[in-house]
Formats: sequence, C-alpha cells, structure tokens
Amino acid sequence: MAETPIPLEVRNITKRFGDTDVLKGLSLEARKGDVITLIGASGSGKSTFLRCMNLLEQPDAGELFVHGEAIRFKETKHGREPADWNQVVRMRARLSMVFQNFNLWAHMTLLENIIEAPVHVLGKPKKEAIEQAHSLLERVGLTERANAYPAQMSGGQQQRGAIARALAMDPDVMLFDEPTSALDPELVGDVLRVMRGLADEGRTMILVTHEMAFARDVSSEVIYLHQGVIEESGPPKAVFDNPRSERLKQFLAPKH
Amino acid sequence: MEALTSQLEALLADNSIFTLQTLGYYGEGLVTTVQLVFLSLVIGLVAAVPLAIGRGSRHRWINLPIFLYCYVFRGTPLLVQLYLIYYGVVFIEGIQDTWLWAILEKPFVPALIAFTLNTAAYTTEIFRGAIKATPRGEIEAARAYGMSHRLMLRRIVLPSAFRRALPAYGNEVIFMLHASAIASVVTIMDLTGAARFVYARFYAPFDAFLFVAAIYLCLTFTVLFLFRYLERRLLAHLRPAGG
Repeated sequence: MAETPIPLEVRNITKRFGDTDVLKGLSLEARKGDVITLIGASGSGKSTFLRCMNLLEQPDAGELFVHGEAIRFKETKHGREPADWNQVVRMRARLSMVFQNFNLWAHMTLLENIIEAPVHVLGKPKKEAIEQAHSLLERVGLTERANAYPAQMSGGQQQRGAIARALAMDPDVMLFDEPTSALDPELVGDVLRVMRGLADEGRTMILVTHEMAFARDVSSEVIYLHQGVIEESGPPKAVFDNPRSERLKQFLAPKH
Repeated sequence: MEALTSQLEALLADNSIFTLQTLGYYGEGLVTTVQLVFLSLVIGLVAAVPLAIGRGSRHRWINLPIFLYCYVFRGTPLLVQLYLIYYGVVFIEGIQDTWLWAILEKPFVPALIAFTLNTAAYTTEIFRGAIKATPRGEIEAARAYGMSHRLMLRRIVLPSAFRRALPAYGNEVIFMLHASAIASVVTIMDLTGAARFVYARFYAPFDAFLFVAAIYLCLTFTVLFLFRYLERRLLAHLRPAGG
C-alpha cells in the first residue's frame, strides 16, 4: 500500500441487517487532506457506513481500496468475508478510529493505551513510542494524565486521550464515529477544538457527527444520508445553505 | 532453636495430647496440605487458560468437549471424583504391571489428579465468564487498531479478564484449601489426616479438630490477604480518581 493521493476509496457498499437494507450502494472517495462529514438522522446508516470502511462491519457487497490496493473478499456460508485477514490488519493499521464511547482499554493507563498499538502492531521501539505519546498528550492537553486510568478521567479527557491514541498510529485517514455524542455539553468544546486543529493541519478525516456548526466549518465535503442512500452531497456551503432535497431541508430546519 | 524446643517442651509438659510428636504430625500434615493444594491450583490454573479460550470457541468440536468436562466435574462431588480416581484405577486392566502403578498405588498422585481436574473445571468457568465480560468496545478498538486475534487475546482480552476474575478466583483458592480436607479419606496424612489420627489416638475430638481448624483459619487468612494485595495492585484501574 504505497502512498497515493487517494488513501481511501469505497464503492457501492451495501449492507443488510436481517430484512433491512441499511446501506444501499454507497460510494466515497477520500483524497489526501479531505475532511468528509457524514450527516443524517439516526438510523440513516452513517455509523454503519463508517464502520464498513475499516471492516468492523462486513459489507455484503462493494469494494474498498486503501491507497489503490483493493481489499480481497471471498464468499463463505456465513456471507462475504475478507479473503486475507493479514491484509485487513495491515489496512486497519493505516486508518484509525475514534469511537463514540472512547473505548480506551480500561486496564491500561492513558500512556499505555497510546503506545499499545504503535509498539505491538506497528513494531515501533517502545522508547520512541513513549516520547511520541508525551508530545501527543501535550497536544491534546493531557500532559498531567499520562498515568491515569480511563476510569479516573472525565469523558472529555478520555475522548481527547482516544484521539491521541489514534494519532499515535500516524494514520493516513482518521475515522470519527460521533466523537462528541456521549459527552456532557460543556466537554464537547475541548474535543472539537482538538479535531479542528487536526483538520487545519491537513489530516484526512471522515467523521460522523451531529455538530452541524462544526461540520460546516471544517468539512471539505458533506454527505447527507437518508435510509442508506446518499441523498445529497457537496461542499458544506452548498449543502447547508442551499439544500436541494426536501428531506435535507427538513433535517436542517431548526427543531422546536 | 534449642531454646525454642525446650520452651515448647515446657509449655507442653502437662499436656498429654499436644506432644512434640503429635505436633510433628500436624506439621507434616500442613506441608502435605499446602503441597497438594498449591500443586493442584497451579496446574489447574495453567490448564484453565487454554480451556477457557477453547470454551468460547465457535467450533463445536473444541467447545463441546470442554463444556462436557466442566459440566461433569462441577456437577459431581469432589469426594466421589477422588474415590473414582483412587479406587477406580485399580480396575484398569493390567495397570499394576506398568510403571504407572508405582505412582498411582500411593494416594498422593490420585488425589492431586482429582483436585487438579476439579479446580481446572471451576477455574475454566470463572475465566470464561471473565473473558465473555470483556467490554465490546475494547475489543472493537483492538480490531480497529490492527490487532490480530492472537495479539488481541494476549494484550487486551486476557489481561483484562484475569483482573476481573481475581476476586472469584480467590474464592476458588479458599474453596480448594478447604476441600483438600477430604484427602484424608484416602489415607493421606494431610492436616485433617493428622487431626483424625490424634482424635483416634487420644479420643479427643475437640482438641484435635479445634486445633486443626485454627490452622486452616490461619491459612485462609493468608490467602485472603494475598488476594487483597493483588486486587489492590491489579484492580487499581477500576477505582475512581483519588482512591
């Protein structure tokens, strides 16, 4: 997987849960430096779409390319599965995900959380990983909390810690799955500030969020999903200021 | 040492039951009990880890035999298992002619086998529950960060499960210590064996068994403190800030 201008591309992803078609043929292309925001009502499939991108969910059909290299699939009696899990593991190590519920490893300190995957997945020397972790902690404003366990930190601190963990992988694309939805309102700002910093330095990011003001500010592209279909997409100005579809208009209308 | 012995002798001077000789029996019994319990726990623990992982396997031919093993050994009394192994082996055709007989003829190894099989079954279930209780999100994070199944087990699932299992496993250790008293029924001179001997010799059940109860109590508290220490160290991550 050499460096290319298109670190991640997905084509015609479909996914069913039981009898429900959750994703009905979605495509997306993340070029280097893109910040793509997925918006939509709950149940529109935006989180599932994001989770298909690193194969936490197995799409029933469709193609994935990481730096132009196609992920290979095979048909089994349980449905379609990746043909080569080593390829998936390699691909996941280049994308990193920030979860709604942080999902830090509870038995490790924050510092240990951050160096875990760089050391054991990427094979980085421990000393180097620790140095890098300290500079990342400084960046997300958690220098003091290096030796705290996740249970000892507030939600906002945990999420900023989780972003530091994601950055430690030096990822080509960062996936954010509703990173502020589980936070108290007063803690959202700190997390968004860190994310804005990442967007400003040209990180490639794909995020699912309900923070519309934030989406409008940082996105290069906004995708509105409705019932597993891309209803509308484009630059944030066009999508937010001149929505063409009725549904998007309704979705964006102030709620009382 | 000399001084201690003479002091002890003075203390026991007008006592017909607790002589240096009977205390010696208790001492040997203590060593046997600790050996028996410690060995069976260590072997059982080592066996339980792969068994617990296998118990959660998707493949029927891996998880079913383990399930049956746990079911049988948790579903029957340890005393019956001990009888079956100690008296049962005699009926295996030709076993008396093999080298195994030299080991199985004496009660220690059959008891060790019974205890090990029993504790391994319980420990497997304790670990299985702890593994199953690994938060889903932590497993997803491990997968999302490129961990292989094996690496995830080694770095995330097992370390987290062992910590969760610690309090329940502490109970299992104490249970095994107390259950080991039944080793005396197959003529092992463990702690209870020593007490039975003293009881039979002097017909003094209260003295003999109260004394041995006190020793078991001391052992139990040692185990309790050990586990409390381990929990304090290894479960630090569950305590909120300032704890």
